[in-house]
Amino acid sequence: MDLLAFARGPGLKYAMFVFVFGILWRLIGVLLLAAKVDRSEPRHPASWKGLRLIVLRLWPRREFLQRTAAIQVLGYAFHIGFLVVLVFYLPHVLFFEDVFKGLLGTNLHGLLGVSWPYLPGSVIMMAGAVTVAALVALLVHRLVSPVKRLLSNFDDYFSWLATTAPLVTGMMAYSHVGPPYQTMLAMHILSVELLLLWFPFGKLMHAFTIVISRAVTGMEFERKGAAL
Amino acid sequence: MTPAETESEHPLELGAPRFSVKQPEVRLDRQGEMEDTERVERALRHFIRDFGRTAAVYLESCVHCGQCAEACHYYVATGEAKYTPIWKVEPFKQAYKREYGPFALLFRLLGLKPKLTVERLQQWQELIYDACTLCGRCSLICPAGIDIANLVSLARHGMSSAGLVPHELWAVAERAERQGSPLGATPKVFQERIEWLTDEYEIEIPLDKPRAQVICTLSSIEIMKYPKSIVAMAKVMNHLGLDWTFRSDGYEATNFGMLSGNVRWQKDMSLKLIQAAIACGAQTMVLPECGHAYGAVRWQGANVYGKPLPFRVLHISEFLAENVDNGRLKLKRLAKSATYHDPCQISRRGGATAAARTVLAALGVELREMSPAADMNWCCGGGGGVVTIHRADPLRYKVFQIKMEQIESTQAEVPVTACSNCRQTFDDGQAHFHWDKTMHSLLELAADNLEESPR
Amino acid sequence: MRAPSTVGEALEQAGISRRAFLKFCTAMTSLMALPPQLAPAMAQALAQARRPSVIWLPFQECTGCTESLTRSSALSLESMLFTMISLDYHETLFAAAGEAAESAREQAMKDNYGKYLLLVDGSVATGLDGAYSCIAGVTNLQMLEEAAKGAAAVIAIGSCASFGGLPKADPNPTGAVPVSALIKDKPVMNISGCPPIPVVITGVLAHYLTFGSLPELDALGRPKAFYGNTIHDRCYRRPFYDQGKFAKTFDDEGARNGWCLYELGCKGPVTYNACATVKWNAATSFPIQSGHGCLGCSEPDFWDRGSFYKALPTGTWGGAKTLAVAAAAGAVVGAAAAALARKRQRGIGEKE
Repeated sequence: MDLLAFARGPGLKYAMFVFVFGILWRLIGVLLLAAKVDRSEPRHPASWKGLRLIVLRLWPRREFLQRTAAIQVLGYAFHIGFLVVLVFYLPHVLFFEDVFKGLLGTNLHGLLGVSWPYLPGSVIMMAGAVTVAALVALLVHRLVSPVKRLLSNFDDYFSWLATTAPLVTGMMAYSHVGPPYQTMLAMHILSVELLLLWFPFGKLMHAFTIVISRAVTGMEFERKGAAL
Repeated sequence: MTPAETESEHPLELGAPRFSVKQPEVRLDRQGEMEDTERVERALRHFIRDFGRTAAVYLESCVHCGQCAEACHYYVATGEAKYTPIWKVEPFKQAYKREYGPFALLFRLLGLKPKLTVERLQQWQELIYDACTLCGRCSLICPAGIDIANLVSLARHGMSSAGLVPHELWAVAERAERQGSPLGATPKVFQERIEWLTDEYEIEIPLDKPRAQVICTLSSIEIMKYPKSIVAMAKVMNHLGLDWTFRSDGYEATNFGMLSGNVRWQKDMSLKLIQAAIACGAQTMVLPECGHAYGAVRWQGANVYGKPLPFRVLHISEFLAENVDNGRLKLKRLAKSATYHDPCQISRRGGATAAARTVLAALGVELREMSPAADMNWCCGGGGGVVTIHRADPLRYKVFQIKMEQIESTQAEVPVTACSNCRQTFDDGQAHFHWDKTMHSLLELAADNLEESPR
Repeated sequence: MRAPSTVGEALEQAGISRRAFLKFCTAMTSLMALPPQLAPAMAQALAQARRPSVIWLPFQECTGCTESLTRSSALSLESMLFTMISLDYHETLFAAAGEAAESAREQAMKDNYGKYLLLVDGSVATGLDGAYSCIAGVTNLQMLEEAAKGAAAVIAIGSCASFGGLPKADPNPTGAVPVSALIKDKPVMNISGCPPIPVVITGVLAHYLTFGSLPELDALGRPKAFYGNTIHDRCYRRPFYDQGKFAKTFDDEGARNGWCLYELGCKGPVTYNACATVKWNAATSFPIQSGHGCLGCSEPDFWDRGSFYKALPTGTWGGAKTLAVAAAAGAVVGAAAAALARKRQRGIGEKE
């Protein structure tokens, strides 16, 4: 079995398995821990209003902006760029639709009546370039800022690598730069598999946990009438 | 240590602008005779015991973005990376992952996380106690919504059971547990002060009424340093014609058990207040001008007690505001410009930000808000027990400069706050920097400006 | 008439004009990306070249490769092939059969020992010591071994001989293997495709006769001149791929407008062949032009690479059931971890 056949076949199977397995393990393992009951009298009657913190923390408060705006912008350049590349590039769309079809029995069009949109390859390449540039800038900041250097560990650097490799290999494959296309495509898919394997075990899980932690704090603070 | 030893080993210093234990010649930032291994073991056990799902979610969500540093007055004033808020709980974050998290077994089997050592805990003592007032600005900036201040609180539980609390903070907490007050305001001393104030100010101050609608509480800082606050409270209560009392079996609202991280002492201290309120059948408990006292009873009291509290809990500023709003409290106009320093535990953490401003509006002052103000205000730097720790003074003064600059920028005549600990921090800072601005008490301002016609 | 010994003689006998022959040589040099000046040199070389003996052995094959090769009866590049070689053994095209055919083969092999070209189509069965596929009582395995001994070079015609092809597809009941898996001591060239483009064979042979060697091969043993680019890179529908215009079904607007067939399973991006440039049936058309996605038939194991109609990115990894199992397993392990942690916590609570 050649590299591409492995990457598209068993490689993807094992990686997806570990990905889903690990995520459930970690999420359930945390969510089933002992929750503390709060018996204090809430300032406001119980409601879901606190969940708005999930959205509020997407951007810093005005008072913090001066010290945080630059990194926020870089962070979003990376996240949004990554999302664009991941979700609006046709080959990726076809992959996801196939997964959903297997899970739900239908694709997006069947579900919502709208086709999953996608962008031309050249636009995706531009988004990819912006994303990689932002990633590099963020890595530099992590290495140069005393605060981040102090905080950073293996997880931070390896997660960066696992995130950047698919982008770089994907762009190389698309532009036929480097090894022959089939090999580059295999390397791209393998790098995605590395990302999937690593995802549940490092900081990349914040994709899920950040919603939960914001929700928890939002509900708690709203309960007290404290500032969100 | 026996009480007698503590008495002489850790004498109080009540003469300085801020009250604390006398500066020790030899610091004893370790308590107990435990072996190092036992210290670590206890730190871990107590840390795990008090851990919950919420804290776990927080520790899983940190992505090391470092933004929390930008919110913290310690980092902003010094530029030192070690004061990054989430870094303050680093040993506990690692311990969580190693001992309690979903991958704990994996981490242990593969030896991926270092074991906790006493050296590391000792190294962290300064970060957890000297350089954190639990002000909660970090909790507001974190993009993951982590309540970092809460995590530092939890970390203190572990440190306390390991006997690794800074000298002075432990000493005042021990005194509070033993004597009923961190500053020597024992029930006997309290009674004597009440008697003296009753005479001096010719005002009725009920003490130990068997039944009352409202139970009032105080902080030792007020009893020992700002007794006029007691008079002010009595004045307002009497003016409103309320059926109220102080109780010598439950008057101390500060909770150094909570601040030092001693869970058992925290419970003892809160239960005193709660049981005194129940004993006299009070419907309302009024907490004094103290920040952490509010958090201790209003938000943690019921959980310590094990069930909902059978009475309302109001901070004095909330109490005043409520009576302004319902028209029972009318205040004379004070023709001055004022600026309000928000005690972190009342405003940002406590949710009672609006109360003080209601009172200030009723006082008719020209309110010149600081920048930033209200929920976003900077901490005075003395809360959370920090003001008691002598070795933390240089850092506290550095941080205090932020407050001075803020207040100077408003050019207000009267800086006001509703927390006696903030007040004494300001007094100490004022003395250190020879600053000309003196912090005032909101309660005292209100009491001094009551409309003459009582209801 | 005596059998022509040189290509020139064969051309004359076949009644192919000098003009047609020169046209052929020009086309060949162009196809193989050789300098155009070589065309007359090729013509001269070929005219004088001795027609090599070609032994064509069919193993586990469908005869499709031969069909493809012999489609045209009119003069064409394909039929030029037969003037260039002396086809001394071909089961389908032979008039003779049985013992007569076999002894003709053995004679040709003996007479041209060390010099004949061995062309093979179909994969070789290795299961049951090769018993799955026998000709005249001899297993393919044995026959190949014997025939390769005296061959100057071996050319594997079609994907079955090159890579194992259809017989090798999962579960491969006959233990089919490609020629290159068995012949290690002779040069083996793979002309893959199911079937391969006939003119490729012609071009390779023209090269061999002109230069006396096989053309440059890629990592899979295929002539780079024909297998150097992917279908995708030469496809006339590529602009639609780049613009994002795809046919979603075989008869929708996109299909009628001739848009890219990527979503309908075209394997063009990972398939190396000359279909998009050289095309089929005297450059008439190729699958994509006809509205059907490329099957990837010139690549190894293309039968096991997933459905012909599922887009390339969907992979062959097996899908939803795996994920459901993974989720359930993860939840169980997570719950167990939480239970353990809670137990530990309770134990401490009771102690203090």
